[in-house]
Amino acid sequence: MTQRVVIVPCSGIGKSYGTVAREGAFRVTEDLRPDTTQLIPLSLLVLGDEQARADVAGAQAITIDGCKLACATKMVAESGGQVARDPSASLRTSLVVLDVFRRHRDLKPQGVSELNEGGQQLAHALADEVATLVDQLTDSLPLTQRNGGRAGDGGDNA
Amino acid sequence: MGVTMPDLPKKKVGIVACSGEEMAEGAVTRLAALRVLEQLRPNETVTICLPLFLAGGEGDRAFARFYPTIAIDGCDKRCAARGTEMYSGKPAASIVVTEAIQTNHLGTARRLSETGMQAVDVVAEQVAQQVDELLGVTWDRKQGQPSKEAQPAEESEAKIATCSCGSGIPIQKVRVDSQEVTFIALPLIFEQFRDAGKLSGDGATAELMETVKVYNPIPDGQEAAYTQAVMREYAAFCQEKN
Repeated sequence: MTQRVVIVPCSGIGKSYGTVAREGAFRVTEDLRPDTTQLIPLSLLVLGDEQARADVAGAQAITIDGCKLACATKMVAESGGQVARDPSASLRTSLVVLDVFRRHRDLKPQGVSELNEGGQQLAHALADEVATLVDQLTDSLPLTQRNGGRAGDGGDNA
Repeated sequence: MGVTMPDLPKKKVGIVACSGEEMAEGAVTRLAALRVLEQLRPNETVTICLPLFLAGGEGDRAFARFYPTIAIDGCDKRCAARGTEMYSGKPAASIVVTEAIQTNHLGTARRLSETGMQAVDVVAEQVAQQVDELLGVTWDRKQGQPSKEAQPAEESEAKIATCSCGSGIPIQKVRVDSQEVTFIALPLIFEQFRDAGKLSGDGATAELMETVKVYNPIPDGQEAAYTQAVMREYAAFCQEKN
């Protein structure tokens, strides 16, 4: 049985950070680690969609929240996903876009429908962090649960 | 006697988009919502993220009881409409992209095609029309603004999407008989009545309760108990402010 790392981004539509979260998630699941990750839409979890909950339940999850309300992290935890949110955790898998921005203060995101250049680059930086986490998580999985190795490598790491 | 409305709620329509990241139609809902919020009806609309109904507090969950809402869904799972109804209140209107747009060439969830962007325009226009209907506004399409006989929209607000993250709807828990009841907008209503000089014990009871009832259904046979509880809280509110 293969088990991908579940990526759940904020689905906010009112702030730039939500757009950065979504764009970063797309980049990981489509460009950087397409074979070892799976994007789960938050709206399906809110509704308790059986397939979405089954995908999340028991899976290693990385959440990307746009604000401190942490909707993605709360929903994944409620759906039975494994997400480490304690700052003292050895491998924290609950990310907040604002924290990533604090590490890249030159990349100020603007725009919601369409991110500015800074926002795009911040999404890339976020995606790189997530991809690193994915690698660490998949390395910790038993061999029988890994899926496809790193075939997704090769995206341009801006 | 007219009902005194708090300033915030009645003039806005809430937009809830499914924003589903697994399909192009989800991107259409998100961008159509933003088009309405930022360009078409910026002064008449506000939004909330769907997950906030679960992750937020009671104030956030009161969103659809406070604003008439329009749910925009990408597919017939109707996450936005069902989620809004399940956790907040029944949407006043609902639009499903797969029903409104008959094409499979919208692009991807990450990047919409030209056809996808046209779909955004179509859905956004439908939502804007629904906003007008809910607010009773006749829109002058030539002028791009409400027609003269309609009530003018408030100006002075920035034309960016306004979401309610963290702001929530003001609520207050009140003990009615032996039960704790959550009243929506009560702090706002109290403040408005007090600012208008309509003080507790000054004949304001009927008007205040009419306003309270706009947002808070009162069960049959419990009007007296609710009135007594609300006026008790209003007296305490006025006393505290003095």
